[in-house]
Amino acid sequence: MAAIDTAQRAQTLVRPWTPARGYALLLLAPAAVLAIFFIWPLVQVVIRSFVEPEIGLGNYARIFATTTYLRVIANTMTLAATVALVTLVLAYPVAWMVSGARGNTLYFCLALILIPFWTSVVIRTFAWMVLFQRRGVLNSFLVSSGLIEQPLRLMHNSVGVHIGMVHILLPFMILPLLSSMRSIDPTIMRAASVLGANPLRQFVHVYLPLTMPGVSAGVLLVFISALGFFITPALLGGPQNMTIAVLIEQQTSRLLDWPMASALASLLLAATALLYLLYDRISRHLGAAGVLGG
Amino acid sequence: MAETPWIILGNAIRFVAVLVLIYLVLPTFVIVPLSFSSESFLSFPPPGWSLRWYEQLIAHQDYGIALANSLKIGLPAAALATVLGTMAALGLARGNMPGRTLMTIIVIAPLILPPIVLAIGLFPIMVRLGIIGTYPAILFGHIVVSMPLVFITVAAALKSYSPTFELAAMTLGANQWRSFWHVTFPMIRLGVMVGFIFAFTFSFDEIILALFLTNSATRTLPRLLWEQLNLYMTPLVAAATVVILCITMLMLFIAASISRRSDAKQADGSS
Repeated sequence: MAAIDTAQRAQTLVRPWTPARGYALLLLAPAAVLAIFFIWPLVQVVIRSFVEPEIGLGNYARIFATTTYLRVIANTMTLAATVALVTLVLAYPVAWMVSGARGNTLYFCLALILIPFWTSVVIRTFAWMVLFQRRGVLNSFLVSSGLIEQPLRLMHNSVGVHIGMVHILLPFMILPLLSSMRSIDPTIMRAASVLGANPLRQFVHVYLPLTMPGVSAGVLLVFISALGFFITPALLGGPQNMTIAVLIEQQTSRLLDWPMASALASLLLAATALLYLLYDRISRHLGAAGVLGG
Repeated sequence: MAETPWIILGNAIRFVAVLVLIYLVLPTFVIVPLSFSSESFLSFPPPGWSLRWYEQLIAHQDYGIALANSLKIGLPAAALATVLGTMAALGLARGNMPGRTLMTIIVIAPLILPPIVLAIGLFPIMVRLGIIGTYPAILFGHIVVSMPLVFITVAAALKSYSPTFELAAMTLGANQWRSFWHVTFPMIRLGVMVGFIFAFTFSFDEIILALFLTNSATRTLPRLLWEQLNLYMTPLVAAATVVILCITMLMLFIAASISRRSDAKQADGSS
């Protein structure tokens, strides 16, 4: 015992021991797993895009010279931007209403938001397929009620993809908005009201600016997720609704063109990484609860 | 009253919000009545009611195997993700070294990155390792993507109390392991459990990595559903979907009751 004590004291003299150093060692295992199964695969993808089939920018030159690929990229961007904007418009009132709820109403609303959030994308897309089919739930309802004569074409076009993706990504917008709205001090709103601002001015000059971190975090999160969407466009969309992710999958499974798939994936990776860093900056102001809603 | 129009406007916004919530929740539950249909086509309302699709589901070997695969992959993946995610959260919350911000960004990144990019990166590596299509291949994929969920929940739990408790334990002579086991772990236990459930739910629902890294023998339930949906849609798929939906909701219910308990505990502690 005494020997250990002396040894420890000797160590303390050399370099003050802090528990922090011990904790840092805990990072070794997760860092190793991430390095092997996350960083390394991504590095491989980027390398392959530059060295196969031959070293150079050949794959990227092909992407920017092929109209089809450029159209898919433009399509994906427009789709992601539209989905992000529509989601924001729909999510804002929901987040506002839920942020004012208390007790059981609050828990009930949170359950309504979190159950879809945690339900598989395959299942939620399947639900839209059931609703949108030519003889699906929606069409048979509309025809039998006499609102329309011919069944509407709701699937295999951009209508279906947009409705489905907005539906799936809504929780990703509601949760960051909610966490920024709940952190607003109600006395600030009361102050604005006492000073004579009408509700519209209170909203424009006080409430909206205070929720901007939530707005930008939500928009970025939805935009990033929408950029990489695969299941919903593949099942609900037509050939003209192809997204980058669907194109990547086709390159690997049907055309077996892994270098081209890697180049497309590298572009997606670069775009995602940039937006994620931006998102990280913003969500630091929001606190970690932003992503999962606590 | 000058305020009346504003009250009407407020109620109109609430009405819109309720409509959006209905749009968010209702479509998924349309599947439930369809799974009890007596016919082999999906029409609403079903022409008659029966349990025949659930009987077929039980008799159908593929679904049983896929469910077993999902559990065989999801449970160990969630367990390992929980251990690694908790280690990462402890290390980054309590450790003090350069590059903490960068490391935090990298730990959360797998949750944000489009899974298709990781999938085409992992596929050739698993081929070279000779384990493509086996359980370890998909297991490691799922560990990486579900670790951030554990990390976020445990990091939040760690933030809710002060590190001085651990310092006190160490001052009193506990080594790092004992201070973790007797001080830190009891305080973050509920966060760790919620993290495990989130990780399991995530793995249970994951599809893109499963498409690339499993084969017809190791395919998970979402992959089987995806393959079926590309061929034909019958109430059998609806029945399988309802089963998955029930499992997911059960998991969420457990997670919610755990975090409610931890909230109550914290309220007790602060009073």
